[in-house]
Amino acid sequence: MISSHYDVAVIGGGPAGMAAALAAREAGSKVILIEREARLGGVLKQCVHDGFGLLRFGERLTGPEYAYRYETLVRNTDITVATGSFVTRIGQDGGAFTAALVSRDGLRAVTAKSVVLATGCRERTAKQIGIHGTRPAGILTAGTAQYYVNILGKLPGKRCLVLGSGDIGLIMARRLTLEGASVLGVYEAKPTPGGLTRNVAQCLDDYDIPLYTSSTVTRVFGRNRLEAVEVSAVDAAMRPVPGTETVVECDCLLLSVGLIPENELAEKLGVPLGAGGGPVSDHNCMTLADGVFSCGNALHVSDLADYVSESAALAGARAASYRPGKRTLVFLQPDERFQIVSPQAIDGSRLTDDPVFFFRSATEKGRTTVRAELDGKVILEKRYSQLRPPEMERFSLPAGQLALTASSKLTLRMEDAV
Amino acid sequence: MDRVKESVKRLKAAFGDRVALRDHGHYVRLEGSLRVWEDVVRAGSIAAKALKKRKSVVNAIVCEELPAPKPQEPAVRDLVLDNTRPDVLIIGGGVVGCAIARELSRYKLDILLAEKEYDVALHASSRNDGMVHPGIDLRRGSLKHTYNHLGNRMYDDLCRELGVPFNRCGQYLCFPGRRWLPALYGSLVYWAWQGLRGVKVLRKKALRQAEPALDPKLTSALFFPSAGSVCPYGMTIALAENAAENGAKISLNTVVEGMEVSGGVIQSVATNRGTLRPKVVVNAAGVYSDEVAAYANDQFFSIHPRRGTNALLDSKVSDSLTNSIVASYGMSETKTTHSKGGGIVRTAEGNILVGPDAVETPEKEDFSTTRISIENVFAKHRRTVPALSERAVITYFTGVRAPTYEEDFIIQTGISTRNIVHAAGIQSPGLTAAPAIAKEIARLVTSYLREQSGAAVPANESFNPVRKPIVKTAHLPDHEREGLIQKNPDYGVIVCRCEEVSAGEVRDALRRPVPCATADGVKRRVRPGMGRCQGGFCSPLVARIIASETGLPLESVMKSAEGSAVVVGGVKEVLP
Repeated sequence: MISSHYDVAVIGGGPAGMAAALAAREAGSKVILIEREARLGGVLKQCVHDGFGLLRFGERLTGPEYAYRYETLVRNTDITVATGSFVTRIGQDGGAFTAALVSRDGLRAVTAKSVVLATGCRERTAKQIGIHGTRPAGILTAGTAQYYVNILGKLPGKRCLVLGSGDIGLIMARRLTLEGASVLGVYEAKPTPGGLTRNVAQCLDDYDIPLYTSSTVTRVFGRNRLEAVEVSAVDAAMRPVPGTETVVECDCLLLSVGLIPENELAEKLGVPLGAGGGPVSDHNCMTLADGVFSCGNALHVSDLADYVSESAALAGARAASYRPGKRTLVFLQPDERFQIVSPQAIDGSRLTDDPVFFFRSATEKGRTTVRAELDGKVILEKRYSQLRPPEMERFSLPAGQLALTASSKLTLRMEDAV
Repeated sequence: MDRVKESVKRLKAAFGDRVALRDHGHYVRLEGSLRVWEDVVRAGSIAAKALKKRKSVVNAIVCEELPAPKPQEPAVRDLVLDNTRPDVLIIGGGVVGCAIARELSRYKLDILLAEKEYDVALHASSRNDGMVHPGIDLRRGSLKHTYNHLGNRMYDDLCRELGVPFNRCGQYLCFPGRRWLPALYGSLVYWAWQGLRGVKVLRKKALRQAEPALDPKLTSALFFPSAGSVCPYGMTIALAENAAENGAKISLNTVVEGMEVSGGVIQSVATNRGTLRPKVVVNAAGVYSDEVAAYANDQFFSIHPRRGTNALLDSKVSDSLTNSIVASYGMSETKTTHSKGGGIVRTAEGNILVGPDAVETPEKEDFSTTRISIENVFAKHRRTVPALSERAVITYFTGVRAPTYEEDFIIQTGISTRNIVHAAGIQSPGLTAAPAIAKEIARLVTSYLREQSGAAVPANESFNPVRKPIVKTAHLPDHEREGLIQKNPDYGVIVCRCEEVSAGEVRDALRRPVPCATADGVKRRVRPGMGRCQGGFCSPLVARIIASETGLPLESVMKSAEGSAVVVGGVKEVLP
């Protein structure tokens, strides 16, 4: 097998992987960018709606435009781009990482001093949320439906119902309406919508698509094609309330019920995963396995591609400057009002800039203060006018005040602000 | 004691005058009407129990609440089989029917297998836990016992010939506490008498070492080395393909609608594809085997369908659960009557299957799942392996078993009709028994034909028992994989990331001796969509390959049967 050597191997050629590869190259590394599909861009290729790039490029771009900008940047460097290449094996051999790639050309081996995992995320399926009944055609995740509509130009159904008000679900409700299908409604088990506020307004309200909160699909009917679904109200514990079942005739059920970071390769490298499904990592995006970095939706599911590229650029730069050595990891201790904080730790031995953290609150909140204390001393107080679980927020901690030792205690609290 | 009088007495005690029993000699027929299905089944069971197998039970009691559902029939209607005269018509393309077709293809015979669904193995043969049973709970002298033992021993050679992965991993039956040990040691004699070889007793330490995830309360166990796991539909497809390679004709989407019988002989068989005149008919129709028997004027048994639901878990968690097959005994304070067996099975593909439960149903084709079934299955088996979690579920499915009221297989020539051979009432352990059942059915068929013609049925000189499976490129050594890709680059294009399936393998699946150009047909042959994302990424890619191989537009690509199109049309099409 042909083997080639690199400083940094970036796996995944979406908005995260491209940003990571560029950052690593700018830092002077020899970089390979490995992508499974025939083209770079990841899921952005099918996201034909706009709203991308406001932070990164200062313009509203569509997904393909955003991807193309990055792809152009990548193609203008000497980064090795391996598209149509699937990582069939990955491991560590001495100090270096080795990966075996399979493509139309055959097998090839790649070695690298550090690895950036930019493998994105996948969608939660019908069976993972316990939908029962038959197994007809016409039940698919919103992202799969998006592929059919935007890439293949085909409609997955004519009378559609969307379960879950995640952003892809909302965007697909609008898309299907524009493409000639009727969308009967979006059903959300939680009491509040799961997507961004702007998407609820622009994708549902503008098209008179009803949103039913605190209700879910409990059963599906139809032997060959989907014929109908049963929807039920759910209680505060999100369990269906008996007696509230109604049957809605439809031929298509789209699911937008959550995204799961893809970390099969991380697991092959022995990287421990956190509660959110992404690798436990420090503020440099390095996982608990030395030399393995994680970024983008594989690290934590973001609601903006711009955030994905931002964290990935950091991971790429840090992967480029990676040298083996001991870490002084101090884990953040958030209170229960945080649904997720990422990354989870600071490496006191490799602290240069102010470390950036992303978080989601566990519930909807009004004016809130986030307070960080290091060994009892307040090092950050930041106010938010409102916090919603679907909207990811961020803060950074002052590097100058982070004199960390292995026994340092760093707590994070959320308090109602007046 | 007069068993018939006894059954009449017991039925009267239970149901008064609402149920009548008619004695037809070798069977009894129950008539009348009862409100709920549970009672209809109970009446059949009461009669069968009292009859002690002297006579079998045909249960024609009408269920008032649920009129008998109509079978799902194929959409196609043509005459492609009209006026054909096969030597043997096999009805049913489950594991039994396909094993029979392969066994009969050892002879120079014109064999036609008719399957009403769009693929083989679509009923119980794809909806079970894939266990090759040692036969722990089978009564010696029953046909189940006999054929399970014979079949179990055939599995290694058969799977090698057919290129089907088979994992003879053994099964642990675990018990809580040391107090069971004397009984377990004592049972070894019984197992030997049952014909089970190599059964061992394990104490706490050895058991913990073999299966670390078991509940710590389970400290003693029996180990049955002859248990194994196989992909049940993989097995069925392999049998069908090998039969087809050896000359048998497999006709999918073909349902039997009636028979013309005179003089104790089936003269013709009506199907949706024309009327056939077979010399002999094999009834391997699963849940419909009683109805096929009735068409042939030879119904002496009834099928009462029994649902069972299994859950399939992500292969990631397999190592933390079991390396083989585990089940426990005596852990339940609340043993439900419906839940009769099952276990936690490591499949030949490395996933974990949990289940099944057992629920009586009037519907022979109700494959829907329910939350309660899944909850019961997990609650039951968590007593064996506490780490078992619904969080790791990839999918779940329901199958419908085909038991008779005698709860035993029927493997015999017809009683009133001479040219039918029944392989009926085949429920668990039917997968294990299928190869042995097929041998016996082939013997019965060929001896009938010999009697008719006066000459032995000649052997098929060109019979080849070896089937070449589709190559799983991800499992090949690097140099072989490289070689394949150099010959055909499609083997280097991975379409299913979870199961690492290449476009080349998907195309292979569409070029087999028994092709099934649907998304689910491809999935059962080469596994795209079987993994944790359940086809989220690969299903459009697979659909496109099917369209390109068949030359059909994407709108004509089906998920499963006719009418299950994956897409309904182009975007911006004007709606009716």
